[in-house]
Amino acid sequence: VNRQLRVDWPACKARGLCHELLPEAVGLDEWGYPVVTREIDHGLLRAAREAARSCPTLALRLVDKPG
Amino acid sequence: MTTLAFRGFGFGGRQTLLVQPGPALLDGVVAGPGLADHRRRNGPPRQPGIDELRALVESIGLRGRGGAGFPFATKLGAVADQSGRATVVVNLSEGEPASFKDAALALTAPHLVLDGAAATARALGVRTVHLVVPGDEVAVVNAVRRAVAERRQEDRRTRWRLHIAAGRFVAGQARAVLELMSGRENLPVTAWQPEAVRGYRNRPTLLSNAETYAQVGSLLCRGRDRYTGLGLEDSPGTTLLTLRGDTATPRVVEVPHGTVWGAVLGDEVDRPVLLGGFHGAWVRTGGLADLTVDRATLTAHGLTLGAGVVLPLRPGACPLHRSAAIVDYLAGQSAGRCGPCLNGLPALARTVHELDRGQPSRARAEQLVGLVVRRGACAHPDGTARLVSSLLAAFPEEHLAHAAGHCSFAHVFPGGGPARGSGDTVGARR
Repeated sequence: VNRQLRVDWPACKARGLCHELLPEAVGLDEWGYPVVTREIDHGLLRAAREAARSCPTLALRLVDKPG
Repeated sequence: MTTLAFRGFGFGGRQTLLVQPGPALLDGVVAGPGLADHRRRNGPPRQPGIDELRALVESIGLRGRGGAGFPFATKLGAVADQSGRATVVVNLSEGEPASFKDAALALTAPHLVLDGAAATARALGVRTVHLVVPGDEVAVVNAVRRAVAERRQEDRRTRWRLHIAAGRFVAGQARAVLELMSGRENLPVTAWQPEAVRGYRNRPTLLSNAETYAQVGSLLCRGRDRYTGLGLEDSPGTTLLTLRGDTATPRVVEVPHGTVWGAVLGDEVDRPVLLGGFHGAWVRTGGLADLTVDRATLTAHGLTLGAGVVLPLRPGACPLHRSAAIVDYLAGQSAGRCGPCLNGLPALARTVHELDRGQPSRARAEQLVGLVVRRGACAHPDGTARLVSSLLAAFPEEHLAHAAGHCSFAHVFPGGGPARGSGDTVGARR
């Protein structure tokens, strides 16, 4: 089952760590805020968990895709 | 037909709200908002159990009237199917500055709203109903207080809790309302699950607009046959519209579904119309002439009724120029907590101003729309993006006309100086 990254927008402070740790799935917009570019499949799961855990403002979450 | 007038509304209290009697929700406008008159006219509401209530609202296809138009039966069912104790919230805190329908209900038919909410709460097995009222409209707050006080004798079972919302566009957003109820700042936060599943105090929460509850009240007081006697077969009943909410005299009317727009707007049906409010969509010139007031019809044409705000463009005004001012306002209404909204909305406002001045900024506008949509805790960036997208779709050539020093709408070119080739030298009217 694919999962997806969601951003807690009021919490996100554009530190950009998620992009550094997971460039395959997170880009940055012109202001430095994350742009989620793809779903998280099995191959990316470990890196995505790491990215979510590493966010300095705890603004990134890995969630199930809404049914 | 007597139209009621209430002074001291809207921007700085300079607007006079007109409420026109209607066929169902607004049929008792002239008699006044009192409980005794309401009961004499409509009788007491029936009290269905939860299963019957679900079937009833499903059978009339009731959709939420706060803007999103979500099926009420689905939301009610989602709350009822959760195991936790439910919370019932009536949202009278309309964020759209050009919407006055919930104010009109509070002032003229508050007991329909309260009947619908009380019956819904009872069907869900809860005693407390939360009422969220707009803090910047004192008359609305007082009208709701009076109506609640009137009911104490008749119904000692239901407890009413009033919450005063901030006078800010995003204060009425669902999560902002739940924050207010929880004693925190009245601003949107991220929803990880729908309110119906995890809302107020993590309980399943039925948060709906005041008109939605008034429709339930009308259904339960007047009965299904009378309710479905108005409107269309597949979309029975009526809807409230606020006409010209951006002028000195906004008017709230009640219209049966299926009514032709020409009957609602008169000659103004041939003007460009901003439908659904500042979070709504532009309709090209004359685009409503062949359409009816009905969500399904409008959706099929890529339009939205939103919370029922209808803003015909005044003669001599330009949709690009008007939009630039609206997006300025919306950018200023951002709570400023979500990065894409904080940065993207001012950038979007600048870009619409550029288009108005005839600069080649269309691609930039489309890019910015993509950068704000679904990237915030609430629907404010999405609504603003919808307005700009619809502007580009409804008037795709207008910025090119402006680039050539011409405006198809204004007598005076908004970019400065008289328009060339408009054949009209009369000054712009505001």
